[in-house]
Amino acid sequence: MINFKKATLRYDSGISVRNLDFSIEGDEFVYIYGPSGSGKSSILKMIYMDLFPNEGEVLVFDQNSSSAKRREIARVRQQVGMVFEGFKLLADRDNYCNIALPLEIQGMKADDVHSRVVRLADDLGIRSRLHHFPQELSGGEQQRIALARAMITSPKILLADEPTAHLDSKASTDIMEWLWKIHQKGTCVIFATHKEHFLKQEPARTISLIAGEIVADSA
Amino acid sequence: MKLNYIIREGVIGIRRARMPFMISVFSVMIALLMVGIGILAVDNGLQYIGNFQADYDLEIFLENGATLGDKQEISDIITGNPGIIRMDYLSKEDAAALYNAEFGEDVLSLLDDNPLPSSFRVTFDDEHRNGSYIQLFINTMEMTRSVDEVIFKKDLFERIQGILKSIYIAAAAALFSIILSTVFLTANNLRLMILSRYEFIEAVRLLGASDFMVKAPFFLEGGLLGFLGAALATLCIFGLETALAYFNIIDLPVRIVNHPEVIVGLLIFGISLASLGVLKAVRRMLRFVA
Repeated sequence: MINFKKATLRYDSGISVRNLDFSIEGDEFVYIYGPSGSGKSSILKMIYMDLFPNEGEVLVFDQNSSSAKRREIARVRQQVGMVFEGFKLLADRDNYCNIALPLEIQGMKADDVHSRVVRLADDLGIRSRLHHFPQELSGGEQQRIALARAMITSPKILLADEPTAHLDSKASTDIMEWLWKIHQKGTCVIFATHKEHFLKQEPARTISLIAGEIVADSA
Repeated sequence: MKLNYIIREGVIGIRRARMPFMISVFSVMIALLMVGIGILAVDNGLQYIGNFQADYDLEIFLENGATLGDKQEISDIITGNPGIIRMDYLSKEDAAALYNAEFGEDVLSLLDDNPLPSSFRVTFDDEHRNGSYIQLFINTMEMTRSVDEVIFKKDLFERIQGILKSIYIAAAAALFSIILSTVFLTANNLRLMILSRYEFIEAVRLLGASDFMVKAPFFLEGGLLGFLGAALATLCIFGLETALAYFNIIDLPVRIVNHPEVIVGLLIFGISLASLGVLKAVRRMLRFVA
């Protein structure tokens, strides 16, 4: 599903990641683990084709990111859910509209959108928050809204970039539980974190990074 | 359903960015007001100068012995030329009456006989009112029997033609600069409007929206914005013209209501300017967005 073939990403200020060579299959839960600045976010950005390798190749759903056209990138992103450290929710619309947005972009009928949003909100325990605005919620709730938005299209891959960074331990545990539940339903989850305790709590394949290089892969 | 999304996001976008939208409508309105007033000012100026131009272009004086048949023949020759929009015959008596009106003297009381010749006054249409054509016409007439002299008010004609030409050039240059500054002014405002929507554009791109789905609502917004700006500009011009006439300041010969093509032109210009300006701004932003 995801293939990194000797991929190197070089910024003007220096190298971000080098010589990445690994594959991730559709049924995996993978931690990308490393300290700040080790290249975790760069890997996720290369998967959702926001960044492109200077050397080597990155293939997602067999689509080579270096040769993908904008239309093809959009199509890949429709199959990839993303949860960010800063949530990236739109403050000018309520939570319902935030969650519904990916379905509306894909042209789904309003009735179907409504039933899917409500069902998912029920699952995540955020139904009562649907008509609030993101800034009216706690960090944990906002992250659940972001998770709902990422999951609403039933993506094949879910990327989570330090989703618990700004959350307290209770909210972090909740989010982790949700990510595992989502994985158990068949979604490939890639979780970037610098917190070691998650790896011990819920062990899974771990790709460890230091200064942009893979130093261990427990696959 | 995608159309629903586009329309709804377009309308929602306007509601959410009310202030930048209104500022952009206002800037398009000001810009088109300048263009509209410029066009009408030039049109009115040309009309005024056109009125100032003599009622006729040249006068063909006949010999005293010209018979009725000669006059008929000359009349036929004149009207047989293309580009003549008016021909007036002035008999010797008409000429005497004109002399009387102009100089306050009765020419018949000074002289026993009326020495003033009869004549034809000829006016050309705009297409044929040029030096070479008129000179050709004069040559033909001078060779015609019973024609004594052809007087062409060349100096006045050339001066007015010169003024008209200068006005055309100046007006074209002024309009071009107005349109150019309009495009820059509006594009800048639209860019600011789009900049305020950066978060939305970034979010929908990350959620898998194609370029078309990102741009389409903005294109719609731009079209609406341009239409409103142009409609307001047209209303302002109409109000201004009405006020000028109502307060007896000046009664303009050319008004915007008499020129639907100017109204349609302003609307098309406004809509295209704003929607394309918005598209350009979004396209530029997409280069920096994920």
